[in-house]
Amino acid sequence: MNDRPAHVMDPIERLVSRVLGVGIAVAVALMLSGLVLGVAKGEGVPAHVVPLADLLTGLTALDPAAWLSAGLLVLVATPFVRVGGSVVTFAVERDRRYVLVTAVVLAVMCLGVLLGRV
Amino acid sequence: MAVVIGVLLVAFVAGVFGSMLGVGGGIIMVPVLSLAFGVPIKTAIATSIICVIATSSMAQTTFAARGMTNMRLGMFLEVATTVGALAGGITAVLIDGGILQACFAVLLFYVAWQMSRRRGDVVPVEGPVMPSSYYDPAQGRQVSYGVHGLGAGFALSVVAGNVSGLLGVGGGAFKVPIMNLLMGVPLKATIATSNLMIGVTAATSAAIFYGRGYVDPRWAVPAALGILVGARIGPRFAIHLPARILVLIFEVVLVVFGLLMLLKALGVGV
Repeated sequence: MNDRPAHVMDPIERLVSRVLGVGIAVAVALMLSGLVLGVAKGEGVPAHVVPLADLLTGLTALDPAAWLSAGLLVLVATPFVRVGGSVVTFAVERDRRYVLVTAVVLAVMCLGVLLGRV
Repeated sequence: MAVVIGVLLVAFVAGVFGSMLGVGGGIIMVPVLSLAFGVPIKTAIATSIICVIATSSMAQTTFAARGMTNMRLGMFLEVATTVGALAGGITAVLIDGGILQACFAVLLFYVAWQMSRRRGDVVPVEGPVMPSSYYDPAQGRQVSYGVHGLGAGFALSVVAGNVSGLLGVGGGAFKVPIMNLLMGVPLKATIATSNLMIGVTAATSAAIFYGRGYVDPRWAVPAALGILVGARIGPRFAIHLPARILVLIFEVVLVVFGLLMLLKALGVGV
């Protein structure tokens, strides 16, 4: 059976797909590091995520919770990257209508996050 | 330790099925976490939303590479579901939640019946709207199609977004029939596109849940890791299985999902 995908991705589509893959790999690496740190320090897995503001200090202090949180955050960020990448893809294809549609989706996603923080 | 392995395994299974059918896997994760593992419901939902993102992004690395995801269609319908979700508050005032659940349980049974009556996938019809094509290894040929019924699809997606926001259930179970039955999108492209959309929808909620501190790494981390492995495998089934088998599995999921919703509507705790 011939399984080769006949579809040829344009370079940007391929780039977005690769960025997603890298994002997932980074997320997994951060989470696994957090688990190892937790076991090494004898603290186990923490019950709470670290707020965004304290993330950097936690990471440098090798706090397991910070490393696990960073992994989860990178994972949560991947769809934002996917949609943002598509805005660029449509812009390069000069498809104005879908630049607009995709930008609206991205804007609503960001707006939802901002409103939800209140 | 046994609990962690249990969560990993359940998440793995949810990842395989969620990515294979384009429904995410929240249907499996929320009840199992809250019933079998005694996780508080908000933590269970937060975990499930993280799982939906993990499923979506991991599956997209496979589906997008195969050219199966119809990005234009996904973004177009995403606008509709988002508008619907934002209008959720209005419907909540107008209709009782139990009645809504019962109505949608019936609708799910109806969709399952419609799908079984047709015994397989839609026959792709080429057209000028959002045309796309992909290689289907199960058929051994290139499948080309255009999207049809844009207006009706958009309108129903507003309703689907509205209801899935209200009932707190993933929209995948509604998105797949809308695209496949109504808009004439072949099932594999439908599954790939639905997979993209559920991740986009879940990302906003996940960020909010994170900010409010409902994400608990003890559950979210093993669940995410298990899901990622499952969602690496699931799309391969979706790509290589014949569409009629996928339709059959999807029908079973719709009926089970409908039954769960009906039980909920009748006030039986699930």
